[in-house]
Amino acid sequence: MNAIKRQDAVAVHCQNVSMKIRKKMILHKVNFTIEGGRIVGLLGPNGAGKSTLLKMIAGLTRPLSGEVRIFGQTAGAHTLDQVAFLPDRGKLPGWLTGAEWLQFAASIYPDWNRERSRYLVDALKANLDTHISSQSRGEEARLHLLTCLAREAPLIVLDEPFAGVDLISREKIASSVVADLADGHRTLIMATHDIRELEPLFDQVVFIHEGVASGPENVELLRQSGRSVETRYKEVFA
Amino acid sequence: MSEESLWYPDVRIDPSRPLYEQFCEQMRADIARGVLQSGARLPSVRDLAAWLRVNPNTVMRTYQELERSKLLVTRRGQGTFVTDDVRIVEESKREIARQAVTELRARAAAIGLTTEQLWLLGQGEEQA
Repeated sequence: MNAIKRQDAVAVHCQNVSMKIRKKMILHKVNFTIEGGRIVGLLGPNGAGKSTLLKMIAGLTRPLSGEVRIFGQTAGAHTLDQVAFLPDRGKLPGWLTGAEWLQFAASIYPDWNRERSRYLVDALKANLDTHISSQSRGEEARLHLLTCLAREAPLIVLDEPFAGVDLISREKIASSVVADLADGHRTLIMATHDIRELEPLFDQVVFIHEGVASGPENVELLRQSGRSVETRYKEVFA
Repeated sequence: MSEESLWYPDVRIDPSRPLYEQFCEQMRADIARGVLQSGARLPSVRDLAAWLRVNPNTVMRTYQELERSKLLVTRRGQGTFVTDDVRIVEESKREIARQAVTELRARAAAIGLTTEQLWLLGQGEEQA
């Protein structure tokens, strides 16, 4: 099972992916390929189609036409075990304490790694004792990220992991993501508006604008030409 | 990270220049200044990347680059260390100084100063 998940295998392949929601074109013939082991930013303004695309990669929505492939398989119910997905404004059950939630998560995810979970509780300073409904936004975000990273899924998909999250939580989340991805065995794709803060993390960026995607672009090559991801973003979207 | 006090750099990142170049410069400078001493052990790629919150490949490339110039040595199973060969450290110091001089000359030339005028300017500053 590990053979196909190694670095350099194709992790995500979108081919002519189109999507309409209530007659509105959300994605228009999106094409890109992400190789395994990469940390990729998906960047674009609000309403560009990022969340829809990430849901498709996570196997939760099917495109109207075209195909999303995860490690060679069409994304859908049978690829759910390959993807750890953090949805935008996702909520954890507020009536559980952090510890109860982690116990539950460990029981529903077959790929839950208890050792990693313990390590992440420490690294992310997760709040285990308080009901999730009384935790701060940053605490809940850290717990949610922990839930993604404690799984062994080879692909991690994060939709706006920083939205509304305090500075210290953001730093802890970014550090944990980097540490987790350092061995190059997992692939990460992340939609974010926090470009300045997160651009040092990315190997590549994909830009998406009004349903049309371009990239991936190599971030170090951009820098070699004297451009930051942020300046490139402004070039693309100005 | 429970190790003896490992070195962690203080870098302000310029996002429009290759990051590994900036980390290499910082490490060379820290080795030259002795903040990072001969023989000192460096954090693992994973720990340093997590600490800096940068892509692990950037840190790996930084270490590789400095290994190529022999300032760092990686010992299998033990980690990455600053060289304990003082000649290499001295040479690196001189190289940093040479680069600074080249840069200074270029900037002086850009405003029409000759090397001699620059030299006199430097001496004047010293006496002042």
